[in-house]
Amino acid sequence: MKHNNAKKNLLDTKPKKIAALVVMVALVLYLPKSGLLSPYLVRILTMISLYSMLSLSLNLLTGFTGLVSIGHAGFCAVGGYTSALMWQYLGLPWLVTAICGMIMAGVVGLMLAAPTSRLSGSYLTIATLGFGEIVKMIALNWQSFTGGPLGVNHIERPEFFGITLTTFNGGFFYLSIILTALVTLFVYRIVNSKMGRAFMAIRDDSLAATMMGVDVTAYKMKSFVISAAIAGLGGAFYVHFVRFLDPNTFNFDISIIIISIVILGGTGSIPGSFLGAALLISFPEILRFASEYRFIIYGLILVLMMRFKPEGILGGHSHRPFRLMKGVESYGN
Amino acid sequence: MILQQVFDGLTLGIVYALIAVGYSLVFGVLRLVNFAHGATYAFGAHIAMVVVVSTNFGLFWAIIISVIMTGLMTMFMDRIALRPLRAKKSKGISALITTIGCSYIIQNALMIVFGSRSKWFPKIFDYGNFQIGNVLVKSTQVGIITVSVVLLLLLTFIVQKTKIGLAMRAVQQNAKAASLMGIDVNRVISFTFFLGGASAAVAGSLISGYYQIVNPQMGFIAGLKAFSAAVLGGIGILHGAVFGGLVVGLAESFAAFYIGGGYRDAVAFIILIVVLIFRPNGLFGKKVIEKV
Amino acid sequence: MKKRIVLVALLSLLICGFAFANGSSETQKPVKIAVVGPLTGDFAEYGMGFKNAAVLRAKQINEAGGVLGGRQIEIVDFDDKNSGEEAASIAERIAGNKDIVGVVGHFASGVSMAAAPTYEEVGVPEISPSASHPDYSGMGKYIFRNNSLIDVEANETLNIASKVFKAKRVAVLAVKTDWGVTTADILINTLAKDHPELEIVGYEEILDGLTDFSSTITKLRSYKPDTIIVCAMYNILGPFANQYKDIDSKINLIGFSNAYSEQLIKLAQEDGNGIALPAIFFHESPEAKVRSFVDNYKKDYNGKIPSSLTAQAYDSLGMFAQAIEEAGSADRKAIKEQLYKIEYDGVAGVTYFDEIGDAYKTFNWLMIEDGKFTLIDKSKL
Repeated sequence: MKHNNAKKNLLDTKPKKIAALVVMVALVLYLPKSGLLSPYLVRILTMISLYSMLSLSLNLLTGFTGLVSIGHAGFCAVGGYTSALMWQYLGLPWLVTAICGMIMAGVVGLMLAAPTSRLSGSYLTIATLGFGEIVKMIALNWQSFTGGPLGVNHIERPEFFGITLTTFNGGFFYLSIILTALVTLFVYRIVNSKMGRAFMAIRDDSLAATMMGVDVTAYKMKSFVISAAIAGLGGAFYVHFVRFLDPNTFNFDISIIIISIVILGGTGSIPGSFLGAALLISFPEILRFASEYRFIIYGLILVLMMRFKPEGILGGHSHRPFRLMKGVESYGN
Repeated sequence: MILQQVFDGLTLGIVYALIAVGYSLVFGVLRLVNFAHGATYAFGAHIAMVVVVSTNFGLFWAIIISVIMTGLMTMFMDRIALRPLRAKKSKGISALITTIGCSYIIQNALMIVFGSRSKWFPKIFDYGNFQIGNVLVKSTQVGIITVSVVLLLLLTFIVQKTKIGLAMRAVQQNAKAASLMGIDVNRVISFTFFLGGASAAVAGSLISGYYQIVNPQMGFIAGLKAFSAAVLGGIGILHGAVFGGLVVGLAESFAAFYIGGGYRDAVAFIILIVVLIFRPNGLFGKKVIEKV
Repeated sequence: MKKRIVLVALLSLLICGFAFANGSSETQKPVKIAVVGPLTGDFAEYGMGFKNAAVLRAKQINEAGGVLGGRQIEIVDFDDKNSGEEAASIAERIAGNKDIVGVVGHFASGVSMAAAPTYEEVGVPEISPSASHPDYSGMGKYIFRNNSLIDVEANETLNIASKVFKAKRVAVLAVKTDWGVTTADILINTLAKDHPELEIVGYEEILDGLTDFSSTITKLRSYKPDTIIVCAMYNILGPFANQYKDIDSKINLIGFSNAYSEQLIKLAQEDGNGIALPAIFFHESPEAKVRSFVDNYKKDYNGKIPSSLTAQAYDSLGMFAQAIEEAGSADRKAIKEQLYKIEYDGVAGVTYFDEIGDAYKTFNWLMIEDGKFTLIDKSKL
């Protein structure tokens, strides 16, 4: 059964898969050093990688569990502020502050999920929006601690083994790739576990899931906490990358970009998150004339996808968890 | 001092009520949070602004034109973006995401067409100020309160006493049954959107005439606050929306005065979260089982 | 299978897009200077001013034969939307483009400070015509400002309060942005001590983008001020003047040079009359070089009047041209070295940089009268 599952993944056979992986890793490691890419392009690739991570986080919540959050930037802000302030007040290295940022975002996610888990649909969505705005207000008004509108400046770059990461030495690019790979692996494992099947059962029919013995509230909360923690990690990466953080860094626009990526790429599709991020982050850069219209285009994407392909470009293959044992044909196919 | 805050808060609140009613109308009929409502409000204010600045119709006719155009715009939005979803029987969340998309489209289109900077708007009902006891009353505020109250009564009348209002309530109860009884459900929904858009346009014009300023981003925060108001009163219930609007307006006014200007926006969101947690159906709401 | 094809097709399309976007030609003769500011959004007025002024100055220099024996100056503009994130991204784009030798921008202090570390690291000279945060120019050797420090300007507002308005009770209103709170803090906690003739009676903050000031006005009025210093730009000062003067028309309002803009008069209408502010540049100054700048600017940009910050952007580009000419090279490092040595006689006065890259300036006092900015005659006070 296990063997069967692994077989039907992105590529068909194992050697092919390993070869592809090796080629991709080599390419990725080579790219920033090759001189083919300007620092500007390395930066965009880093952003694509970051947004892939953020949309994987939202995809877990929205695509797999069916809970739509439009306040995801709030979790990024929690992670980002935790990391930046721990650096500022305690001088701790990035890895420590980022892990704390993740934990903090997870805790805040739990604090939001516990009371709101009985809300459904639109109510929950609006609650997340209110949450995002409240985070912003706290960051703005708690001036003695967060720096208020002054924000946090000159945030230190992460340092590993005595090497400071920059865009120019490709360090941020590698770090973002590693983080995204870890997150991808993590989300992939969750989705293909008992927990993931519970998430999808809740998404498809929470009443039926309850009947089947799934503790809907507990799993919703788990999904929220994991998603928030990943978003917090993204925030912690981002603030050390941009080296500047103020209450407007993670505003509603960021939440909209993340949800647009998930919906365009495909709800419930891991490769979809990558595709969505690549498309939506790069298009304002490629089509410079369109950058003025970028938010109109994000809006159009939401409307048109809902109208014509609500599951997204790569979404909608939710049969995998129900694949039956060898020799037994499921009647859908 | 307190009375002054009460009065200023009530002025603000009655306008929030006017916006909140738009959320309630649409939610009542469709069980849909029309996220684009805030942007609609900004749209109405901009139409009134552009008519009054570029023609000599005067403010009154500018607002009338804005009401009609905004109403038609929201009907159009429903027709091209939301009706197909209903026809496909999409999930409720699809419609919500669609309205989020529409909101972004409207707001950013306003920015591109009118420029994103703040623009001047003529003062409305400008007949000077007078003092009642300790309270300074502006003629503008009196005008706004009067117009809003009249409109709220008119909306209540339409919903409670007219034939189309009866149809709206029927659709609210059970759309399928209403349709079997010969009610054109899509027409009723279009009309509801028109009413929502029109009331948002009036609210947008009144607020802009009060503060003498418009900008394309004005709808986001105002829309969110009005939504909090609608939820507080029980979304879908007209008098609940009015009550919620007044509470949010007062709370905001007091927060700005006693806690500090930086906190005023936070109050509405805190009310929103608290209500959603403890009483998601609002103060006047009946328990409804929502299955989205 | 179909999905994989879609995926591959889209990704290859993207890669082609990048290759296309990246493929600029190699042999450029002109010297490129970047102008960065908010070209869209509430502060577009300033960003467009930067761009227009720089384009105008470059045109004049080019018509006069360019720099370094005939090389033209080319302006490359970027829109940072007044956001730190955009600014940081643009800074890396500029830093990565070897043809760009200098940057005029960014607008807000916080935004400039988000971009500055990149300019410093790669070594791109940046002159901000507007950043006034005390820490900004100390961020590096390549970081300059062609604006006065905020404490100098804030002190001028207190001088206006006491000399022009004979103020006794002064309240301070600040917009809750980095610039607003820093300015108010310096004003109240450092500078007010040197002005025993007036008393700071109250302080209030407002959120940026807010349009309802009624509670704030009630609060401010409870302090019974005769003068209010508003640490905010035109987008707040304008409607604030409307709403405050509606209740109390006798109040004196003082702004800062970043509220010096035609938009202020458009937003405040007749309530703008009487607002005073300090500014380095004044567009109706009788000086010949100012007259010619203002006339040329109006001619090129259909009658628009340049503001103080626009003039400083105009001068900033002039400084780059002069530094390139005097250094005899369009090399980033050489330009930086030369900037520390130059003395530039521009439309906003004579400017030189100190060892950390701060400029020194003298201020005019302006007041809006009959819907126009007019110069206050300091000698008659």
